Amino acid sequence: MATWEEAQSGQARARQARLGTSLRARADQALVLVVLLAIWQGLSFAFGTYWVGSPWGVATRFFGGILNGEIPRHASYTLLEAVAGFLIGAIPAAALPFALRRLPIVTAILDPFLVGGYGAPKLALAPLFILWFGIGIESKIALVAITVFFIVYFSALAGIRALDARLVQMAQVMGAQEHDVARHIVFPGAVPYIFTGLRIAMPYSIGGAVIAELISANRGLGYLIQLSAMNFDTTGVFVALAATTCIVFAGNWIVNVVERRLLRWRPPPDFDLQAGS
Amino acid sequence: MTSQEAALDLREASRLRWRQYAVTAGRIGLVALLLGAWKLGADIAGPLYAADPLEVLERIVADTLSGSLLHHIYVTLRLSAIGFAIGCACGVALPFLLRRLPRLTIAVEPYIMASVGVPKYALVPLFILWFGIDDAPKLWLVGLLVFYPVFIAVFAGIRNVDRRLIAMARVVGASEAAISREVIWNSLLPFFLAALKIALPRAVSAAIIGEFLVGNEGLGYMIESSRNNFDTTGVFTGIVVATALVLVINTALVRIDRRLNAWRPTDRHMGL
Amino acid sequence: MAAPPLLEVRDLSKRFATRAGRDPSSWVIQGLSFAVSDGEFLTIIGPSGSGKTTLLNMLAQIDTASGGEVRFQSEAAPIDDPKGLNPGLSCKIGYVTQEDNLLPWRTTLQNVLFPLMVQRRLNDETRERAQMLIRAVGLAGFENHYPHELSGGMKKRASLIRTLVYDPPVILMDEPFGALDAQTRAQLQDDLLRLWSLGRKTIIFVTHDIAEAIALGDRTLVLSRPPASIAGEHNNPIPRPRDIAGIMTHPEFAALYQSIRAQVQ
Repeated sequence: MATWEEAQSGQARARQARLGTSLRARADQALVLVVLLAIWQGLSFAFGTYWVGSPWGVATRFFGGILNGEIPRHASYTLLEAVAGFLIGAIPAAALPFALRRLPIVTAILDPFLVGGYGAPKLALAPLFILWFGIGIESKIALVAITVFFIVYFSALAGIRALDARLVQMAQVMGAQEHDVARHIVFPGAVPYIFTGLRIAMPYSIGGAVIAELISANRGLGYLIQLSAMNFDTTGVFVALAATTCIVFAGNWIVNVVERRLLRWRPPPDFDLQAGS
Repeated sequence: MTSQEAALDLREASRLRWRQYAVTAGRIGLVALLLGAWKLGADIAGPLYAADPLEVLERIVADTLSGSLLHHIYVTLRLSAIGFAIGCACGVALPFLLRRLPRLTIAVEPYIMASVGVPKYALVPLFILWFGIDDAPKLWLVGLLVFYPVFIAVFAGIRNVDRRLIAMARVVGASEAAISREVIWNSLLPFFLAALKIALPRAVSAAIIGEFLVGNEGLGYMIESSRNNFDTTGVFTGIVVATALVLVINTALVRIDRRLNAWRPTDRHMGL
Repeated sequence: MAAPPLLEVRDLSKRFATRAGRDPSSWVIQGLSFAVSDGEFLTIIGPSGSGKTTLLNMLAQIDTASGGEVRFQSEAAPIDDPKGLNPGLSCKIGYVTQEDNLLPWRTTLQNVLFPLMVQRRLNDETRERAQMLIRAVGLAGFENHYPHELSGGMKKRASLIRTLVYDPPVILMDEPFGALDAQTRAQLQDDLLRLWSLGRKTIIFVTHDIAEAIALGDRTLVLSRPPASIAGEHNNPIPRPRDIAGIMTHPEFAALYQSIRAQVQ
């Protein structure tokens, strides 16, 4: 997980600076897109649309599905599961390390359990939740919530632990009370870490909702995928997959936008703390 | 040392010791509490919603003795291992290949990044459609889920290699293959191992969830079929075993990692 | 009869505990004594590693002492028990640390207002004071910048006025201008003296630069190598207001410099 973040931050930005806007690179990328589409069309031709829906067929079905409301209906169901589960999981997970900040013994006691919970396959609980809550929305929300919880908890915990003691000392010398320190130093310092956790958890929330729907549901994009597959309708499967991927991209975009606003104060990754200016 | 200091030191040491006791006692207490809550929950909720812990234990023993549990575990692990090997091989090979073709890399990179956004589990019905109902779709799933973290780690690792080391190697006449082997591989080894630590438990999880969706063997199948038969004890048994399996693998990886890297100054702040 | 010193240090000692617990580590500070009068600008010089920061940490009450006492306005401060520490002595002692320690998530103005907010003293009058200080050190126009957008010198200035804004009677300064280039340093020394002359606070200024110590201080103390104590005390006869840029040409400078230099080993 840490490696993906690293790949994204420092290197990606540096790389973008080097060659992102180069005209040749853009042309190459466009060329690759054309090639990929050609291959796709070729496969569809070779195997028949039964096995591989054609790009055109998928595109028309996709936009048709949006226009007649079918896709938005299912997508909103999946989205609701993902968002509700995300909030139910993320909010307690972010709050817990704060609440336990002054009780390190409790944190220490809980640690192996939480590490175990983090390592355990939460998605394997899907059948259990379906057993308990039925095939409705609750089982999906529960699954998403528990997956998101552990991710965000450890991110928030890292944020609390990364506290710069010198800043706290400085504030205390100036007369800050305990709650001032918590509100103005601990919390803002932890926000970037919590944010990393949210960013990592976001695709898991959508993925978790979809998986639960694959197993058992009667609405949602996962259900749509499963239904199309069972009807040997590859075009339908592609359409539902595309819709799911779009939601993930939208989620990424939202996270980026919020981060840019919320974390304006962050020095850019290549920042050299020692340099003056 | 002043008497004040000596007194403070003593207080500090005994306080630490008491804290250790308190933490361990707290953990044991919490385990007991959780088990108790489980039993209570099972009694209240009834056999349909919650399986009694003792019955789960009985079932585990019975299934182990009959061999069926071990068979299911074996099937799942075999699936994970093969998928892991495939995903790993591709994840390592592709970046090295791309290294020789920088222009292609730049052209292809945005699409690879974009493909990360596709939820791999959502592809399973498609794989079932294409590849049948045997192991193939599950292998694709595991392979993909292992491929991405490994690929990204190796890719980033290669990018991060110190260019000066490569230049130095070229100057002394090393072939491209030798450079790949010596300089690059060793530089990215820590990233690669970190990715493996993530990918291996993921492979097992993926195998289990694949088995939810297709197949008639394995831990995932055991859990799903129990659910379909309203055999709650079976569901609980499967989940307990699956969780234990993954946790054991995690712990083993941590131990191995610690042993292998005993000489490195560990960066505890790597967090996740 | 002279007024009692504002801040008095008697026989101060500090030794850091080693991890092993029982093995005695060496004394960083031992038997350190000096006094500071109200309104005095005291500079302290010492070689690197002589425990200058440790001394200031103890004075600011963010670290305990292993022995001796610190008296503020004739009252002993509780510095032997970590639990009893009162950082900043209820905002009587300000501390400008070596690192700027600005809160990265606050703008310049918000950082400067931070102590006022925390002390519940934020009102129009104090805001105006903050603005005045921002203008005084040349940070006007940068109020809404975040620390990472400021240069090292600018961050230092912000950190400085952040302490000045709430007007503590005593201000400790730990090599605040050390990491800056000569020009910025001269400018800030000038700014500091100007601001100090407006309010005549008591300042204890630590530096390793003898010229700076002479340029700024009424009196200069020299710390010995660890275990550090006061190796010498030098009164500074150069009259105020001082010309920082031309301080070295002052007739009294050379002799003072030599005598201080001789003690700094």
